[in-house]
Amino acid sequence: MEHSFASPSGHPQPHQRHFNPYSENGGTILAIAGANFSVIAGDTRQSEGYSIQTRYAPKVFRLTDKAVLATNGFAADGNMFVKKVRQRLEWYRHAHSKDMPIRAIARLIQTMLYARRFFPYYVYNILGGIEEDGSGAVYSFDPVGSYEREACRAAGAAQSLVQPFLDNQIYFKNQTPAHGTSHPAHLPLDHVLELVIDSFTSATERHIEVGDGLEIYVVLAKGSTPQVLDRWQGVTEMTTTQDGERMFVIRRNLKRD
Amino acid sequence: MNTLVQRFSTTSAQSEINKAKALAADDQDFDDFAWGSEAGFGTIAKGVPTFSLPAVPDPRAFLRLHTDDHADPNCRIKIQHGTTTLAFRFKGGVIVAVDSRATAGSYIASGTVKKVIEINPYLLGTMAGGAADCQFWETYLGMHCRLHELRNRERISVSAASKYLSNLVYNYKGMGLSMGTMICGWDKTGPSVFYVDSDGTRLKGNLFSVGSGSTHAYGVLDQGYHWDLSDEDAQELGRRSIYAAGHRDAYSGNTCNLYHIKEDGWHFIGNYDISKMHYEGPGNVPGSENVGYGYDVRVVGRSSANPPPSAPTPVVAA
Amino acid sequence: MSIMDQNGGSVIAMVGKDCVAIASDLRLGNEALAVSSNFQKIFPITDRIYLGLPGLATDVTTLKERFRFRVNMYTIKEEREIEPETFAHLVSSTLYEHRFGPYYVEPVMAGISKTPSGGFKPFIAATDLIGCLNYAKDFVVAGTASSKLYGVAEGLWEPDLEPEDLFETISQTIMNALDRDAYSGWGCIVHVLTKDKVITRTLKARMD
Repeated sequence: MEHSFASPSGHPQPHQRHFNPYSENGGTILAIAGANFSVIAGDTRQSEGYSIQTRYAPKVFRLTDKAVLATNGFAADGNMFVKKVRQRLEWYRHAHSKDMPIRAIARLIQTMLYARRFFPYYVYNILGGIEEDGSGAVYSFDPVGSYEREACRAAGAAQSLVQPFLDNQIYFKNQTPAHGTSHPAHLPLDHVLELVIDSFTSATERHIEVGDGLEIYVVLAKGSTPQVLDRWQGVTEMTTTQDGERMFVIRRNLKRD
Repeated sequence: MNTLVQRFSTTSAQSEINKAKALAADDQDFDDFAWGSEAGFGTIAKGVPTFSLPAVPDPRAFLRLHTDDHADPNCRIKIQHGTTTLAFRFKGGVIVAVDSRATAGSYIASGTVKKVIEINPYLLGTMAGGAADCQFWETYLGMHCRLHELRNRERISVSAASKYLSNLVYNYKGMGLSMGTMICGWDKTGPSVFYVDSDGTRLKGNLFSVGSGSTHAYGVLDQGYHWDLSDEDAQELGRRSIYAAGHRDAYSGNTCNLYHIKEDGWHFIGNYDISKMHYEGPGNVPGSENVGYGYDVRVVGRSSANPPPSAPTPVVAA
Repeated sequence: MSIMDQNGGSVIAMVGKDCVAIASDLRLGNEALAVSSNFQKIFPITDRIYLGLPGLATDVTTLKERFRFRVNMYTIKEEREIEPETFAHLVSSTLYEHRFGPYYVEPVMAGISKTPSGGFKPFIAATDLIGCLNYAKDFVVAGTASSKLYGVAEGLWEPDLEPEDLFETISQTIMNALDRDAYSGWGCIVHVLTKDKVITRTLKARMD
């Protein structure tokens, strides 16, 4: 810790203290888009340095019945940001009598983050959900609002552990299909959920800031059957409207050491 | 309703809140735009958007402390850097070619970044430096170009558009914006390219390359550039230059996005995998000989250091 | 930028069923500028020990020669080949001699050791730059892509892989990790060691 110090002449000089409003709370988030579903997951450990602050602090939040926002970085900024996004979405609902489409939410998040360009929210955001055309979507953001639509994205403490694994298993990078066959463009929900769980157990094994609990949000497009989720334990339905999209959350334990 | 209440309230409590808000410089200056219909860009009615600043004596130093990864690689907010972009003017229009890699330190954060921003059907902007700065201000520029069309019943010139952007970012000079962009298009004067950066520089020219891989790209570009290039050869030159940068520069690579601007606006030519270009060439496209660009690939069997393939040939992992 | 990242490069070693594998990239760079696509960082020490040296290139070259000298002296004195466990300690003590002015390398070793009963046992180990040994039962990694290698290996590796399956696993692990690292790549080499032979293959990796 720096304290005031004497100048060479011996007279104490006023010392400018650094204003540091940021902290880093660890954890990892992950989202994968399927043909007609989207999966958004995050661990629930919140830490600062080598200390665990809590074993259950959600990083994944329901915005609407077809949009989920995962935040990572500085938890205080993340929670405040989610609060402000939800407020804007509620105003939109009151003005237009419908939920904001996900691509509009993505642009809204960009402008909200960029409004703080000179005093950034220290938050990496991943937005997942269902597009108006019924396809699964994932949008990823940097802290000041640059964004891109992708099929899969990991962010946070263990992003460098998880992302190359996903490149290999989702995009089939560096894999040559057997002769006369090709890689599927989209994976089934069952398979995606297995990959998400494997990703987090791997990250928990090798990264100290990841562990305790796992929350996986699943958003299903209109008309898709939720029967696949029957074989999964700990599934809770989160749907609140009759729009057709359905939302579920799956809670799992991760290692606590 | 908040808006109305706030606007017409004369009670002392409300004016106290307003005063407090002004002091705190709250970013939520709720106005009509807050209702969401203009996606936050509603601020356009009032001129430039507003930004909240940290309550410190020197906001620039604050931002530098927390976001500048050259000064301190451990700083928390990593703004993505590293790029190769190029654009050149020739008789057939403008070629715009860029890579698609975003790095944060040694980590390749993305290999699918869209570094060409489609401002409108006649204008393209490229992205180097801060991704958010380029995306935000070039989108914002697009809105103003549309307003110009509505007001003046004609399209904005590339010169005017680029000057608009240049003046915009000049307002924020020294605040830490980071962008190096080429504004490219076709207007009454024909094809044109302007280089605009966050220092306020604005240059008209035939040929520019921006980013960490620009020196590698210039090497190929300068060698092959000519005003009278055919469309096919010009496109091949753009691809080949980005390949060179992607190959040698750690912060550039993955894929090349190629655009060609003609009199009727821009055309997306294609997306080319840089590693595939190394081994096999860009595929069956006009202007390409369709052989790998890689040195080892081109000289295979032609030098003592690189004999014809014999015993240990490269194996593809199945 | 850390001196360990100056030239780039990464190595991984994995254990299989009666076999081990070690793999590295082939890049040598000067910070962002790639210079060579054929810079070997894995060196055969004996017929059954391979050593990977990711880190500062000048120290890689120096240490390679230094280990060759020390292993030769050992062989002459003892009149037998050095065992992987012994070599690991040789690596460790050589590095610790320079505790306060270290070589900037993080060695990774893979070998097949002889058991007293005449059998063979796979062996892998890694050390930090001052020689702290880390024995692992599964895999060890080092270099600029280490965090990426950990993530993929943790997801793909399983116990008791046969040599060909181990080759596939280590190849997929290193290639996908390299593709997310700016300072490693530009080609890739894999060695699979079994009790009676070594299979070496160069992979067709991304060149950007």
